Amino acid sequence: MLNSILPLLVDGLANAALIFFVAVGLTLVFSVLRILNVAHGSFYSIGAYGAASLGLWLVSVGANPWLSYPALLVSAALVAALFGPTIERLLVRWTYGKGEAIQILVTFGLFLILEDLQRMVFGVQSLYQDTPMTLLGVTMVGGVVYLNYQILLIVLALIVLIGLRLLIKRTRMGRLLAAVVADREVSEAMGINTDRIFMLAFSIGVFLAALGGALATPTTGVAPGLGAETMVLAFAVAAIGGLGQIEGAAIAAVIVATAKVLAVYFVPALDSVAPYLVMLAVLMVRPQGLFGVAETRRV
Amino acid sequence: MTGLKGNGAVAKPNKLLGNGRLGEKEWIMKRKIGQWAKTVLPAAALALTTSVAVAQDNPDTLNIGVFTFTSGPAAAYGMPGKQAAELMIERINADGGIGGLPIEAKFVDEAQGAEGVISEYRRMAEDPSNQVAVAALSSGNCLALAPLGEQLKMPTIAWNCDTHQLLLNDRLQYTYRPNGNTIPEFTAFVAYLLERNPDVKRVAIINPDYSFGHDAAEIVKTAFETFAPDVEIVAELFPKLGASTYQTEISRLSSARPDAIFSNLWGGDLENFVRQASPRGIFMQSQVILALGETVLQRVDLPEGVIVGMLGDGYWLSPDSQANADTVAFAEAYHKRYGEYPVFPAMKMANAFVVMKAAIEKAIDAKGGEWPTRDEIAAAMKGMEVDTMTGHVRIREDNDGIVDQVIGVTAKSDTYDFKVIADMVRYDGDVFMAPIDEEPVEWIRTLDSAFLKALPKPGSYK
Repeated sequence: MLNSILPLLVDGLANAALIFFVAVGLTLVFSVLRILNVAHGSFYSIGAYGAASLGLWLVSVGANPWLSYPALLVSAALVAALFGPTIERLLVRWTYGKGEAIQILVTFGLFLILEDLQRMVFGVQSLYQDTPMTLLGVTMVGGVVYLNYQILLIVLALIVLIGLRLLIKRTRMGRLLAAVVADREVSEAMGINTDRIFMLAFSIGVFLAALGGALATPTTGVAPGLGAETMVLAFAVAAIGGLGQIEGAAIAAVIVATAKVLAVYFVPALDSVAPYLVMLAVLMVRPQGLFGVAETRRV
Repeated sequence: MTGLKGNGAVAKPNKLLGNGRLGEKEWIMKRKIGQWAKTVLPAAALALTTSVAVAQDNPDTLNIGVFTFTSGPAAAYGMPGKQAAELMIERINADGGIGGLPIEAKFVDEAQGAEGVISEYRRMAEDPSNQVAVAALSSGNCLALAPLGEQLKMPTIAWNCDTHQLLLNDRLQYTYRPNGNTIPEFTAFVAYLLERNPDVKRVAIINPDYSFGHDAAEIVKTAFETFAPDVEIVAELFPKLGASTYQTEISRLSSARPDAIFSNLWGGDLENFVRQASPRGIFMQSQVILALGETVLQRVDLPEGVIVGMLGDGYWLSPDSQANADTVAFAEAYHKRYGEYPVFPAMKMANAFVVMKAAIEKAIDAKGGEWPTRDEIAAAMKGMEVDTMTGHVRIREDNDGIVDQVIGVTAKSDTYDFKVIADMVRYDGDVFMAPIDEEPVEWIRTLDSAFLKALPKPGSYK
């Protein structure tokens, strides 16, 4: 019995880990900036392309293959440093306080631009960089061979979840973020530079999406369309968890991933729609999501 | 519509304005437009018809459209087709073209979706200077374009699409497929597997989630029911086309403990699946059958003993291909330019050009050396037999091509730094082709194990 359940558990958690990185970035940006960033999935795919390119370059120059691990983190940080402040300053800032339709249209336009830019820069062929995956070897769980890298992803997702919570609860920056989320005007009156906080929150969101993409690279092919595929799933997770809820995103990621895994195992025909059926069911009962309570403080 | 009667006669206007009816002025305007249309449009049509005739009488170039995937995950399969088309055009033009005319091709990316592909095809077919469409790669696109080809009278060579549905019910005049279809292609794999691994009892299937994948699953299941009724299908998975990860599907396959896994994943999807499944021991655990596996041999290090094929006979290293000096020269030229040897989509495209050239030359001969019309080019393909670069094709009365099926297993090579195909068999093209007008999947059920025993054995094609 346990042998039958264990593979389901590992698959569910490994899938949830990758979705979580993107969804938590999306929900963080929403909670601080109050915008639903449709272009968020593009940062995931740019992170993936960046990590694959950097990893392939390291391989081509004969560098130590273990460097491919820090390369994943470095590429995500580079993407965040390059795109976070720039896009927030030049484009996203313009939409603050505007209607939701404007925000969605602007970020959707940005998504289309970034998708085309990726095609121009990286081409249309799939990129593969599986060095980090092969270095760690495999483990047998419930009679099924799993990559140790998949287990590592689960651990990393937990670290990010705890790290984000500590950042918000235990650091000055986190308290500033929380203050801006609670009341922007009062925060400004208290001398908090809210523009800087917004830029910072947006950049953290970009970093989390890019990190998700970078960490996915060793186990997936990177090709045009990856961002859109991930984005839709991240929206479902954010909606189920409740927009703005970090722990909600984590639990929703597990729910969505488990639904998908159960469908693959038992009802393959529902594989693609399973996450959205769950989303539909949750939103019918709780339109604000599982953890989305209007009165509670976000972040 | 107010003012117009069903028989096309113009009725007098209703003087009541409002409620959507025409007023006097509008009615007069409509009459004027109608009269103008009656006189000018026939003249324009006449001029257009004349220009079509002129274009067909004395074209300067042979204009064709070539449809394939040049972007997205499917480009891994489509780009070799495009590259082969470019090389074939160059080679044919260097040799004097077809009927003395150089080929000029416009390439259309099928990744834009069916709607865009249909628009491009329509635009191309409505231009009388275009004479042949080499379309398409995707079965879905072929199914969408075939009726349009009939409507616009465009000779269309379905260079890759395999679905047996394409020519099943309609007797088409303009669409031809000089390949096999999914019935012989996938039945042949079951025959090969049962010869090589007669003890197989548990089979899993992982195919893409659209008609090509579902049709193949139905054919494979029917073939097992017919030839080996005790085989159990233990998992049937249809991941979406273009999926980036197959990790959950791989776990499911692994936990189902199949003796054999059949897959007709293709393009980037196949490459992705192989890269993800290989380190997780799938190829060690089960006998894997990759129906389109030849396409990834040069890109991915597949283990030895994987059953692979090429949906036809388009293997550039097969004994027949290697015995053909043209094919060897083509493969070398292809390798020199693109850095890889031509995988079977490239050979399919090259063969499509061989068929197109033969058809146009046949039509020119039939017309005493004059340039043929589109109708005449299309008619020339009916019942045609052509020696291709990898074997032979005969086009049946239903416009479907009969080509041999080559299957083998991956093996190390002394010559190349990638796996090649060994233990090959070459099944005669018509062995697995359902007769015209028979429901092809049901026809498989009429076969029996004696039929299987009479087939050539793995390793017999040398």
